[in-house]
Amino acid sequence: MTYTPLETTKVAAEYQRDWLRGLRGQITAGAQYAFVNADTPHELFHAMDMPIVTNQWWSAVISAKQLSEHYVGHMAELGYHDRLARYSSLPLIAALEGDAERQPWGGLPKPAMLCARQSSDDHQKIFALWADLTGAPLTMLSAPAVPDPAPDWWRLAREDWEQLYGTDRLDLMVAEFGELIERLEALTGRAFDHDRFEQYMDAIDRQERIFDEANEILATAARCPIRISEQIPNVMIPQWHRGSDWAISHAEAFRDALRERVANGVAVVPDERIRMMWIGAGLWFDTGFYSAFEESHGAVFAWNMYLPFAADGYIRKNHGDPLRTLAARVSAMNEQLHQPPWVNEWLVEQARRYRIDVALMLIPANDRFSAHGSYFAKEALEAAGVRVIEVWSDMVDSRDWDREAVVARVVPVLDAVLAEKN
Amino acid sequence: MAGDIRHEAAAALEAAFAARDRGSSGDLPRVGLFGNGIPEVVIAAVGACPVHLSLDHGGQRHEVDRVVEPFVEPETRIFLNRLLGGEFADYRGIVFARDDAAALTAYQYAREWLRQRPADGVPPLFLWNFIHTDSGPAQAFNRVQGGKLAAFLQGVGLAAPAAGWADAVADEGARRAALARMQALVGRGISGAVAMCWRNAGRFIEAGRHARLIDDALPPQGVQAGRRIGLVGSALGSAAVYEALEETGTIVCDLQPWGAVWPGPEVAMPDLDTLLAGMARNPYSPRIVPPTAHRAALVEALVAAGCEVVVCQLSQHDDSFGWEIPSLAAELEARGIGFINLGFRDHEPDAEWCAAAAARVAGEGVPA
Repeated sequence: MTYTPLETTKVAAEYQRDWLRGLRGQITAGAQYAFVNADTPHELFHAMDMPIVTNQWWSAVISAKQLSEHYVGHMAELGYHDRLARYSSLPLIAALEGDAERQPWGGLPKPAMLCARQSSDDHQKIFALWADLTGAPLTMLSAPAVPDPAPDWWRLAREDWEQLYGTDRLDLMVAEFGELIERLEALTGRAFDHDRFEQYMDAIDRQERIFDEANEILATAARCPIRISEQIPNVMIPQWHRGSDWAISHAEAFRDALRERVANGVAVVPDERIRMMWIGAGLWFDTGFYSAFEESHGAVFAWNMYLPFAADGYIRKNHGDPLRTLAARVSAMNEQLHQPPWVNEWLVEQARRYRIDVALMLIPANDRFSAHGSYFAKEALEAAGVRVIEVWSDMVDSRDWDREAVVARVVPVLDAVLAEKN
Repeated sequence: MAGDIRHEAAAALEAAFAARDRGSSGDLPRVGLFGNGIPEVVIAAVGACPVHLSLDHGGQRHEVDRVVEPFVEPETRIFLNRLLGGEFADYRGIVFARDDAAALTAYQYAREWLRQRPADGVPPLFLWNFIHTDSGPAQAFNRVQGGKLAAFLQGVGLAAPAAGWADAVADEGARRAALARMQALVGRGISGAVAMCWRNAGRFIEAGRHARLIDDALPPQGVQAGRRIGLVGSALGSAAVYEALEETGTIVCDLQPWGAVWPGPEVAMPDLDTLLAGMARNPYSPRIVPPTAHRAALVEALVAAGCEVVVCQLSQHDDSFGWEIPSLAAELEARGIGFINLGFRDHEPDAEWCAAAAARVAGEGVPA
């Protein structure tokens, strides 16, 4: 079985590497950048021409370079205990160690600004340490919870988001955006252009609708045309640059490549027999695992959250106030992926749409925000006829990962599915 | 005679603490609470007794237990089992603090379980969103939440807060004053363990009664003996741990979430807006912004209390306080205060853990 990677995957990886190299050059020449969490309003930084590096992306890069074990060890040397979350903290630990040569691509320069959201209790602790280390000003965005979350959030989120997320929460977030914009204006010496921002939001909407089309192609394809290890960079790298000409162009190229593959009958597994979903963040230190069952069982990982969430998590209709539209995108971004009833209902809908047989559910016990709601999700998926395998590991810390042991647990389940289908 | 009154009051406080929410709150309707940072004076003002539900030791198991992952805090698990088992059926409602991680999980899991399986015997649930920072947007948001809480309480058949506001504020003021008098005697007549017990007894009884009992129970001032110990880390309600830590001194500054940070410095304010503004500035909230205010407040209080050593202990599931530990230790040691991190402990630590903790606290001195 020979799998041919998409050309766009290489293009995306090279773009991101060149972008970071260029950013380093710009910073050396006096430019500024912000270090931000994934669930913050990147759009405001982009609109102010302030480059950003995303904490969780950089963490994934560190992990993919097989450096997490070293940094987790260093975390202990610094006195941070072993049960603190790693996904959001690996970059901090790397920065605290201070050996830029060890870090991927020569490490990160000192940021000019820091921004995180209080979606999880540890974010403000981690970013306060970043601020101590770098002297960069920190903006924390509030994260009150939605008291009465509608289970089918993805149906309401595109247009009826005022009702879904709550007027008080959106008022707060828009007001906090105003404070963030003032800080960005002071830092950059530039004025926030509301007209340009509206156009930029329209461009992001176009990009996410392209991803929506790509998602539909993947969900309805008779057989899965690409591995999820390729889906992720083709979605997430444009997402880090969302709304830019390059990002929109790349999203179109990715969608078109998928369409072409499906039209030509290209499949990851020609004799596809089992469709699986990977629930949770990527297994960044071992993305090769996603192809582990293709030859043995004709089993392909057809789903992960990044592409469908680009559509459901990002498309928000502008009702005349682009900042409020952005607040609707950001105000529950992470929560929708991790908290009941949002996570369980969405996963069931996705599993049905993608015709999933088996789900592998990553449960990072030391990253509780990401792990909460796992049992509700498992129960709901099983009620929908999906077999669920719990994978108690971490997205960036490889120490708890035993690939052979996981394979040994998955194989009997796949055997049973095949026996049922035959 | 005075001795009898003192002993009776102390016994009443100890009984209230031991019974937790299973004790009596008199004839008042009860509103349950989960987490710190809820404006309890509002609940008292509407004619109810606020009763904390997260300090119980647990007991019965309900089928909800199967959806509670092993990393969830024990207090959340215990609460959910009791809630779905119908133990709080006679409560008018239950209020959860969004800024308390265990409370938020309890609220979300309870709601989801009930959405899928509607059940009798569960009172209405309310999530108390609150922003801990001193900004205009936060103040505006918090005022809206204050209105929502009042509306919820009226929706469950209680009065408007205005009716009982003055009395409730007076009671909270009396409690605050009584707690201050008690705190002044810690190490000079009462131990940190007793202070923890007497203070937390107030989580289960009316503020006015709590104030009277404390004032009646206070002994004459004694002489300071032993080391002055500070306590930080995860929420801890185990008298056995306190007694172990106090074998060589007294916990004079108790800053863990079930310590002296409750009921908070801003509880007795003339109106709701002033109350909420004060609560938003409370640096003992672990979610205060700017985030460094929390550690700074801890250090300031520990120094002001004259602590010679600070003991840190963590629940098995800590994912937040651990980020403070190296900096907190360094800042304290720079001020000549020792720092002992006991690490993780169970919800109800056993005798072996307590003995080891006592030995460490006894064996480790103040840095040179």
